[in-house]
Amino acid sequence: MIPESLKNELKARVAAALTNREAAVDVMKELQSHCGWLSDEAVVAAAEILGLSTLQVEELATFYELIYRRPVGKRVIHVCDSISCWSCGCDAILAYLRQNLGVEPGGTSADGCFTLVPCACLGNCGEGPTMMIGDTLYGRLTEERVAEILEAERKALASSNSSN
Amino acid sequence: MPKLVIDTIELEVPAGTLILEAARSVGIMIPHFCYHPALGNAGACRVCAVKLIDGPVKGIQMSCMTPVQEGMVVSTTDADAVAMRRHVIEWLMINHPHDCPVCDEGGECLLQDYTIAAGHGTRRYQGKKRTHSNQYLGEHVQHEMNRCIQCYRCVRFYQDFAGGTDLGVMGRASTIYYGRFCEGSLESPFSGNLPDLCPTGVYTDKAARFRARYWDYDMAPSLCPHCSLGCATIPAARYRELLKIMARRNDAVNGWFLCDRGRFADHGVNSPERPRTPLLDGRETTWDEALAVLATRIGELFVSHGPGSLAVVGSPRLTLEGNYQAALLAEFLQAGALCYFVERDEAAAASAVVSLLTGDTAVSLAEVEQADCIALVECDLREQGPMLLLAVRQAWRKGAKIFLVGEGSPREQTDSVSLETLRVPTLADIPLADYSTPLVIATPSGSGTADIETAVTAGAKLVFPLSGPNTFAAALLTREHRATSLAEALASGTIKGLLAFEADLPEELLSGISLLAVADRFPSAAMIKSDVFLPTTAWVEMDGTFINHEGRAQRFRKVMNPGLPIKGLDPALHPPRVHRLDAPGGEPRPAWRIIADLAERLGAEQLVEPLSGRWEFLRDLDPEGEGERIL
Repeated sequence: MIPESLKNELKARVAAALTNREAAVDVMKELQSHCGWLSDEAVVAAAEILGLSTLQVEELATFYELIYRRPVGKRVIHVCDSISCWSCGCDAILAYLRQNLGVEPGGTSADGCFTLVPCACLGNCGEGPTMMIGDTLYGRLTEERVAEILEAERKALASSNSSN
Repeated sequence: MPKLVIDTIELEVPAGTLILEAARSVGIMIPHFCYHPALGNAGACRVCAVKLIDGPVKGIQMSCMTPVQEGMVVSTTDADAVAMRRHVIEWLMINHPHDCPVCDEGGECLLQDYTIAAGHGTRRYQGKKRTHSNQYLGEHVQHEMNRCIQCYRCVRFYQDFAGGTDLGVMGRASTIYYGRFCEGSLESPFSGNLPDLCPTGVYTDKAARFRARYWDYDMAPSLCPHCSLGCATIPAARYRELLKIMARRNDAVNGWFLCDRGRFADHGVNSPERPRTPLLDGRETTWDEALAVLATRIGELFVSHGPGSLAVVGSPRLTLEGNYQAALLAEFLQAGALCYFVERDEAAAASAVVSLLTGDTAVSLAEVEQADCIALVECDLREQGPMLLLAVRQAWRKGAKIFLVGEGSPREQTDSVSLETLRVPTLADIPLADYSTPLVIATPSGSGTADIETAVTAGAKLVFPLSGPNTFAAALLTREHRATSLAEALASGTIKGLLAFEADLPEELLSGISLLAVADRFPSAAMIKSDVFLPTTAWVEMDGTFINHEGRAQRFRKVMNPGLPIKGLDPALHPPRVHRLDAPGGEPRPAWRIIADLAERLGAEQLVEPLSGRWEFLRDLDPEGEGERIL
């Protein structure tokens, strides 16, 4: 359930924007951070908040890579497989992630911690191969470096769980 | 104006013209999918590539995205351009299924034509085709997403042009999907244009699915009979069955499009209930007997009550030919009444319209799009003329202000095309004189046209959506032949006989009638009560003329012969062991022909040409032209 307080707060943001479509990404991201992903219910809520049809919200939601229209793990790993990273060996990085997490691209690890999503370009071509977890961009990846990052992320997740 | 050369042809075209359009103006057809004259360009399909050999820009360019410039030298036949187009086709075919033999679009598919034109016949790409699930989009439009080539025509029409909000494009790159948020009927009243617009078979007409190939259709330029706007159509028929109706281009009227009512509404042409045989006192008979008996009974009526006891009735759905012949028949017989409208109010409203509309005040649908202020006065265009809503939306997109006047103008009509409107209590509350091209769209009314006359003084043009496809002609004939409404004629009590041609007769008006002859293509209570019933052809089964709401006379051509559709005939009775030259159920005749035949039996001269005298100038009207304004 999406609380009325959140809906009202987002409606105020939409009212302050020049056009309602301009606020659409903001609204979707807020609803996503509340639900973990942009559920069908969240799309319906976003449409109501934005004064758009559900289809028009869906058009935007499915265009943006960072809006998730399916349930995801606690962390989403975006691995670039576009041309620069490919020439720098992203295939090996992707293979390592698949093996380490035990998932296929698009899948979520059994412990529900990580979802693996290949993507086309993170704007970090000079530092390929590259990946992004949450808001953090990692470049010049090697298998060892990826192992360290995953370890750190797992620890961070565990501590945030125990602190809850 | 820039001068340029296309394939050695020198030409000069207005600045802003696209190379693709400039080429077409000199007869060079550059292949294209995403470009559409009504929707503009998108640069999405890449198949209109040409090579600029010399001038301000050089190299391969998309001709739909490149406005002409002075000194351009364009080649459509350059080897690089040809190779580019060939490769684009091969690339579009990577995911397109090879299902042409079972695809309903086969034979009328732009992608099929261009694939063959490009010479692509052997698949080189060995990967899998991307596939999609289809959606249920309602009773009328079939969805087959695998065929999509991502030209964006559907969504540009549906959302931008028609203001629909429930069909769009989702995803990106190879996951692009055109459809709805979830399955369900398309909500736009213009959804039926998707099959016309789609350059391949993503959207096809569901009712006509798997029924016939393009080259099998009986087709002819026709008109829509469902309201007074006179939109151009192409009905398609096969095996004596009207299969579907497509939009036909008329730049002065409907542009390229058609509303869903015009396309999908029940037209009754194939209906098993449709009367197809003349009836005499309720039993089937021949044309000869029916007309002979009718002539005799009219004579008997005249002997007992005099010719003043007969009323001849035409209607707003009867052709100009039929209505004019009805007037001539009434004159010839010195009938007591000639009627084109049943109710008094209806006749008064129609007569107000023909007096208010002049060459100066009447506007076409195309001109509606040019208005900068539109007042919708006591009207609901979803019912009265949906294509007007589409035209109003185009005006709104160009910046026009739209006003809803009166409680009879529901907001839902403008919501259906996503228009912003202002509501005002009366027409006088709109500062019409402040606008350069103000327009009033109003339901015709026989009383209180003062506010509309004031609006005309302030410079407003007028549109009156009327009840039927030929209401305007019926109103003109009412004025010219001093016709009255049927209700008024019957009120006098002297009318004892009715000859009604495609008129909707209310049962309660028929009580004092001793001779009732009805000619129609629909079954009705009046048909059951009639002494003589004569089946008429539908508009697709005859040539004819309608005069639309703005006084534009338009000709429509016969599409098909009347007859019982082969689909639905009882196979046990096949082949029919009846020796005949005409098709079973092929008896219906055009109403004007019935009137003329009856007149001949009553002593009039034989009729060859139904439009004469005042209307002779319309004989050679071009059915594929824009029609002729008679105001």
